[in-house]
Amino acid sequence: MAKVVVIGAGFAGHTAALYLGSKLGKKHEITVISNRDVFSYLPSWVWLGVGHMKPEQTIFKLKPVYDRKNVRFVHAAAKEIHPDAGDQYVLGEEVGTGNEIRLDYDYLVIAPGPLLNFAGTPGLGPENGFTHSICSLPHAVKTRDSYLAMCERMKKGETVKMVIGTGHPGATCQGAAFEYIVNVHKDLVKKGLRDKADILWLSNEPLLGDFGVNGVQIKRNGHVMRSEEFIQSVFNDHGIRYQVQTGVTKVEEGKIHWQNYEGDEGTTDFDFAMLIPAFKGQPFKYVNKNGEDITSKMTNPAGFVLVDGKYGLPYPELAQTPEAWPSTYQTPAYPNVFAAGIAFAPPGPISKPFTNKNNLLIAPAPPRTGMVSGVIGRLVALNIADLIETGKTTHSEPMTEMVAACIASMGDSLWDGNAVTIVMRPVVPDRKKYQNEFGRDLFTSHLEMGVSGAWMKFMLHHTFMWKFKARPGWTLIPE
Amino acid sequence: MNTQQEFSRAEKFWMNFKLYQAWRFIVLNIKILMAVYQSKRS
Repeated sequence: MAKVVVIGAGFAGHTAALYLGSKLGKKHEITVISNRDVFSYLPSWVWLGVGHMKPEQTIFKLKPVYDRKNVRFVHAAAKEIHPDAGDQYVLGEEVGTGNEIRLDYDYLVIAPGPLLNFAGTPGLGPENGFTHSICSLPHAVKTRDSYLAMCERMKKGETVKMVIGTGHPGATCQGAAFEYIVNVHKDLVKKGLRDKADILWLSNEPLLGDFGVNGVQIKRNGHVMRSEEFIQSVFNDHGIRYQVQTGVTKVEEGKIHWQNYEGDEGTTDFDFAMLIPAFKGQPFKYVNKNGEDITSKMTNPAGFVLVDGKYGLPYPELAQTPEAWPSTYQTPAYPNVFAAGIAFAPPGPISKPFTNKNNLLIAPAPPRTGMVSGVIGRLVALNIADLIETGKTTHSEPMTEMVAACIASMGDSLWDGNAVTIVMRPVVPDRKKYQNEFGRDLFTSHLEMGVSGAWMKFMLHHTFMWKFKARPGWTLIPE
Repeated sequence: MNTQQEFSRAEKFWMNFKLYQAWRFIVLNIKILMAVYQSKRS
């Protein structure tokens, strides 16, 4: 009987656990260790953040689902990983009691999601800073409360300055921030308060609509349309000001400090700010059989796990080397250890990085959330099933071959809401396969806005909650 | 940095015309499912 341990129960870890439980759960021991005992459907927090959805509508308890799928759930925070052959185990600390827990494994999936690195930008974040975030449930609730308090101020006639975007020169998840800013706009319009708010998009993207993936390009009526033009139209239509090519360096009460591509240093005043922090890998300690700390060999400096990618290529070379992107997400030193979702280290950025004259690197990190996380989680689970049953892996899917679909909400109303439907193929441009300047399949890639997108987003919330609860037919719903 | 790029009146009309959007809803679902199943899912 093989023992498989999954660290984390987000999009990647939970997807992996469900597939592992379904395929192996009756014959082998599958264990999930997570410091949270609920699954959180993060994409709907853009609605929670404006008070249009209740927190409990976005979560459910993990254990009942795992019980049905023959997966053991351990409510504990993983701390140490001992990967050397012969004595492979994870050490964790049980939530509530603080007791040490040891989980032996034959196969390990590291998928704990990101560490929200608010400390990377002084003054950032809701706990020790002055800004908000929608990256965790407590943060999203706090953001909602603060936003609604702003609305009360506006109702009394006050004009407020709102800044939404990225809070670090290397932050990712611009898509979530984009959804939030447009939902804020829509909500203020409905409340009759839009004229009381000055809304600014502040982002580290090289161009508007870049989203950390070098933008989205599609062919329409014979010419190439870029997401830059599209998002410009959205912002101009909604009266949202924008400032890109900007890295936030520090936040004080009511004041954001930033630098841009030109090296100019400036400040932006705010009454309400929701800025996405940089992400880091979870600070697990990796220990070899001699008791030595081998964390620096297992992870990159940001704490993301090194897998089967080709690391260290300069951006111009990486952009022309699609095979540098990992395809099985196995760690080179330990083929029985996989990293999925945000946890794996990408070989470099997808968008073109820029270093300004003050030596500040402004470069959106590659997004590995949502569909990408789910796809990798499934792939890793199928490969572990392969390894247990046949001794070799048969599945691979680098981000240079992966399709991603994203529905960016722009108001949740099914009558007058809106959303941008985005399909990208592949997520990371492959300039060898697709002989155009963007390295993408311009026929399959798609970008469209309309109320049908709002229906899609509504449908996705419910179908994905169904899928993640492993209800009948869940495997038919794509990640 | 801010430009005057905007949606045309016709584009805005089609974005909110419910019958057309119902058609787009079907098309988008098919397009996404085709794209997903064309990708490896290996």
